[in-house]
Amino acid sequence: MASSSPEGDSSSATKITPLATFEPDLYQRAWQSIPHPSLPLLATPHGTSVTIFSLATLSKHSALVNGHTRSVRSVAWQPGLGAGQLRVVSGSFDSTAAVWNFRGDRRQGDTELEREVKVEADGEGEGEGEEEEDEWELTVVLEGHENEVKSVAFSPSGQFLATCSRDKSVWVWEDVSGEQGGDEDDGGEWDTVAVLSEHDGDVKAVAWCPDVPGRERRKGVFGVDVLASASYDNTVRIWREDGDGEWVCVAVLEGHEATAWGVQWETRPREDGKFPRLLTYSADGSVRVWELKVDEEEEVEARQPWSGIPNTMRRSLREDWVCTAVLPKVHGRDVYSVAWSAESGILASTGSDGVIALYAEDGDQHSAQDEDVEMVSPPAAEPAKPESDQQPTTTATDTNGTTQKGGWRVLTTIENAHGPYEINHITWCKRFDAGTDRKGIEEMLVTTGDDGLVKAWAVTLD
Amino acid sequence: MASADIQNANPTILSVSQLPTRLEGRISANKGAHCEYDNVVFRDRDWLKDLMKEHAGDDSAGEPLDEQEVYDLISVISDPEHPHTLGELNVVRLPDIHVTPPPRNNPKGLGNVQVELTPTINHCSLATVIGLAVRVRLEQTLPPNYRIDVRMKDGSHAQDDQVNKQLGDKERVAAALENDSLKGVLDNMMKPCFA
Repeated sequence: MASSSPEGDSSSATKITPLATFEPDLYQRAWQSIPHPSLPLLATPHGTSVTIFSLATLSKHSALVNGHTRSVRSVAWQPGLGAGQLRVVSGSFDSTAAVWNFRGDRRQGDTELEREVKVEADGEGEGEGEEEEDEWELTVVLEGHENEVKSVAFSPSGQFLATCSRDKSVWVWEDVSGEQGGDEDDGGEWDTVAVLSEHDGDVKAVAWCPDVPGRERRKGVFGVDVLASASYDNTVRIWREDGDGEWVCVAVLEGHEATAWGVQWETRPREDGKFPRLLTYSADGSVRVWELKVDEEEEVEARQPWSGIPNTMRRSLREDWVCTAVLPKVHGRDVYSVAWSAESGILASTGSDGVIALYAEDGDQHSAQDEDVEMVSPPAAEPAKPESDQQPTTTATDTNGTTQKGGWRVLTTIENAHGPYEINHITWCKRFDAGTDRKGIEEMLVTTGDDGLVKAWAVTLD
Repeated sequence: MASADIQNANPTILSVSQLPTRLEGRISANKGAHCEYDNVVFRDRDWLKDLMKEHAGDDSAGEPLDEQEVYDLISVISDPEHPHTLGELNVVRLPDIHVTPPPRNNPKGLGNVQVELTPTINHCSLATVIGLAVRVRLEQTLPPNYRIDVRMKDGSHAQDDQVNKQLGDKERVAAALENDSLKGVLDNMMKPCFA
């Protein structure tokens, strides 16, 4: 069924093959599927609820229901909780985000939970009792946004939660309930630490920089956490905490010609210890790769204590992010999702056209064939965006073409991955099913579509 | 229908006999050697096709979608502030509908329907609502491999770009459809479609 048609590099033996469709069919648009950071669980929002699937059985484990009055658009697993604790935050078109706690047997450790996941799904098949739906308890409702909440995301430690909305704002919340999230029964204690209102349109997505070594690179200047937000205003913004508890916009990434649907950080540590790169993808059909340009001298300077220097003097509160590549064009319509493998470094993209594409980066040596280089060059001499230039931090546009390292090539594409339907999300995900002998290590792709299906795909690299 | 806040009190109305129908033959945008016979062969089966499309998912009876069919689906939607249809108000115009069928060698591939709307006056704040109704009507009736683009005809509307961007944004459209008051307006507009 899935015909794999290599493009670009015809010698590549990379293949995407259908592995399984998660059970049951959700029968309505599903927006995304988010794997738990370590456990074999996957959370899929659809309608006003969230279905949790087991990655061991590829079938339904439990559900979050009766917490929202409108569609749930996104979910996030809180990392860094105590053993056996599970907490999910859901963001909904009803303008709220909800915190959910799993009320399983609290003495269970991770492994028991895993086992329980399998038994339950094996045993019950279709008859999902009401009991199952009680397993998740709505503990806290986060109110503040004026319109639909479009995306929710946790910082790597679980300390911060970011939410964003059609009201053009990004909120940063902090769980101040202390170590391990406090009492297992409560949903944490959430303070609003920042309301960031610099976008000119809906904020479509937020994502935190993962905890990789390169992230520490500028911690003398800022707090360690870095947030990126993508917007209907076509831009992506980078936000950091300035060391005094103030969250500031340190860069505006301009280049997309239509809504930026999302951002994805590089999750694989870079060999040279550089700061993680950022992917952005858009309704303009393109995917862009951005890199932080670090001026070494300034970096050293910035590490000096700045006592006595007024805020306005701190040049280092700006970061220079440069678009270093535009991926070869594959998608004819909106790109809704891109995933960056932490293992292989391979990118997977999907969108309105129902196509899944995989891309690999050429080796570090700048020896790519001319063709490839041409394919990835950003459009020459992009005109500066007319309206939005009050921001002092425009990058990309003025520094275009200065960094043309690694090019990207298409490894393979498949069409009609969800039949005629749009695909809203793609993610890399560890395998825990019976079909792999490298449980928790081998990666697969999971796609989520308008057809209400969540599909798993095996990727064979050459 | 309160006259107080009507935005365009005296729109131009086309009579039913002026509206394009299958009986007049297809317009030039839709040419092809065998077109002339379509009237004869297919004219009496439109109701059947509509019926099948309402229910069938992927492909209805094998006959490719054409502009007149799209016109018939959306021209009967009623205007949110006048007791007339979008066809009668000339908001929906047959020459401004463009259908690109799936590639011949890949019937499972994507098709595209583009509709350009001409609101009755330049500053019609209801343009978004009308566009939304058209998009929703087509999403509910066309096969799922057709992607639908609804926009304002160039220059017909003062805030074209904003309206077009909203209508093209799947997430915004989805959220709008969960807004009860807006949903009420849309349901009223759709009534004639199910008459």
